Amino acid sequence: MSLIKLKNVSKIYRLGSQRIPALADLSLSFDAGEFAVLAGPSGSGKTTALNLIGCLDRPTAGQVIVSDLELGTASPRELADFRLQHIGFIFQSYNLIPVLTAAENAEFTLMLQKVPKRLRRQRVCQLFLELGINGLEERRPADLSGGQQQRVAIARAMAADPHVILADEPTANLDSHTAEGLLELMRRLNREQGTTFIFSSHDDRVISQARRVIRLEDGHLADDITITT
Amino acid sequence: MLLMDYLQLAWKNLWRNRRRTIITLTAIALSIMLVQALHNLSSGVYAGMVDSGVRAGSGHIAVYQRNYLESRDESLFFEDRNLVAEIEAIDGVKQVLPRLYIPALAQSSRESRGVVLIGVDPQREGQINPFLKTLPKESMLRSAASRDAVVGSRLLDELQIKPGQKFVVTAQHQDGTLRSELLYVRGVVSSGMKDIDSSLILIGRERAGLLTGSTSSVHELAVILSDPGFEAPVHRIIATMLAARPDIEAVSWQRAMPNLANAIKLDYASQKFIFLIILLIVTIGVINTLLMSVMERMREFGVILALGSKPTTLRRMIMLEALSLGLLAAAIGSLLGCLATWYLVSVGIDLAALVPETLEFGGVVFDPVMRASWNPGWMLQIALYVVGLTLLAALYPAIKAGRITPVEGMRHH
Repeated sequence: MSLIKLKNVSKIYRLGSQRIPALADLSLSFDAGEFAVLAGPSGSGKTTALNLIGCLDRPTAGQVIVSDLELGTASPRELADFRLQHIGFIFQSYNLIPVLTAAENAEFTLMLQKVPKRLRRQRVCQLFLELGINGLEERRPADLSGGQQQRVAIARAMAADPHVILADEPTANLDSHTAEGLLELMRRLNREQGTTFIFSSHDDRVISQARRVIRLEDGHLADDITITT
Repeated sequence: MLLMDYLQLAWKNLWRNRRRTIITLTAIALSIMLVQALHNLSSGVYAGMVDSGVRAGSGHIAVYQRNYLESRDESLFFEDRNLVAEIEAIDGVKQVLPRLYIPALAQSSRESRGVVLIGVDPQREGQINPFLKTLPKESMLRSAASRDAVVGSRLLDELQIKPGQKFVVTAQHQDGTLRSELLYVRGVVSSGMKDIDSSLILIGRERAGLLTGSTSSVHELAVILSDPGFEAPVHRIIATMLAARPDIEAVSWQRAMPNLANAIKLDYASQKFIFLIILLIVTIGVINTLLMSVMERMREFGVILALGSKPTTLRRMIMLEALSLGLLAAAIGSLLGCLATWYLVSVGIDLAALVPETLEFGGVVFDPVMRASWNPGWMLQIALYVVGLTLLAALYPAIKAGRITPVEGMRHH
């Protein structure tokens, strides 16, 4: 059974009196444990699709069902709870909270889940070790490199053991070497822990690492290829 | 999120823009200090005036024949019947001053003036009445039956007599006839208040009673308390005590001396208006700080919401930031308020060079050295009020932050 289903989904943004279609009649489904990329040029609807899958936005038409939760009927509170329990996010510009240390940033979702501090710190230290950023726990984001910040963001996304991790252009702000290392890390986590990764990218080097490539063009599904090795 | 996490996060966010927080904190703390110190100064000055007023006037509580206060009809006197001793036995009562007020004509060999004779008990009055307290012993009334008189300085000039010289007072006896008594000027009072200095004649109560034919009667029992805070309970006890004598009533000093009470009320109202303006300015500053702090973090709020925070959690975070700011400002402001009050209590502000020596306020001479009095309850109230205002100021930014959606928030730059 699919973990995520998009059925004939459309999303139209309004800009004053203008209607800007971002997605048009898109149908997709994802199974648990996938390592998929939403590919396409800027404006193709990748981020909009990720926002819908991540329960951050609602479709204008159609249905989005994530782990049996239908976005259209869920309240904002239910959506927030769902995101907290089931979804991890990695953002293009890391979006760490500047006043918190690296460890506190990584603990943030656990803090929202009211996990006691000792257990939080244990989990985060373990993650930092796995991600190769142990020793940076007490540093502020401003004192970390881009690659280190993105690893902290991955630790934050993974801390609460979500079913799905969504990453919007996760390597866009990184140099190719760091980006490659990061992708390898995400693949390892997918392989070893079975976490579903769905990320967006328009970089062919990144796209080539995915096991499933979904190409979007002008909000439409252009291609959906599963690579078997 | 656990409370400690909320507080830690709020504290860290508060110091995100250190300079802005310090400026806002200073503004709030200084305004708390200013309001607390000014209020304590006013309280001290009012307390001094009330003290001076009640000692020379009605006492903290006054006992009268019903309707006397409104009509000042000299025929409305009442028999003491051991009432002075009974009231003096109440805890918190320092002294009871029986008085007679008799409209009379004062005549010297050269001039005559209409006056109100005040018949007092010299022993009791001498310890309390500010007009007598400052007189040297040789100028005091010697006994309630003596022919001694303490006279206002202007009246003395108008009658063209000097200390030691005699003059005659004439008043109506209760049988309708006129009675005169010969008096000698024993002491001179120069209060600085024109009305007092040109009309005051204090004589012994028994001598005054001879004029009206009622030596055991009084018009007023002025009850002086050891602490003004005892006023309400003592008033209740006296009222109960007087239940058996329905012709007599106990009234508060505010009712007995409406001029002083109203002058203080009016002055206090204008002070409150100034306090309100100070606090309003501070509130606007706090709103500005918190709103700026929220607006520049919209993207971050979007991320926090995306990570699974509920809007209420976000609002709570902002409210806690405001609470931290308010509590810190209240603590610093109150500390500064205590220091300022301590100075104003022990040193005070000397306005002697700025105001005339005889400046009158509500029928009482204004003491040019203004001193504060401690009012910890009110200081705490102001501090809590400012904390409340800070929270109120945070409401709009908190509501605004809670209304954004994660996507809207993350689009902010």
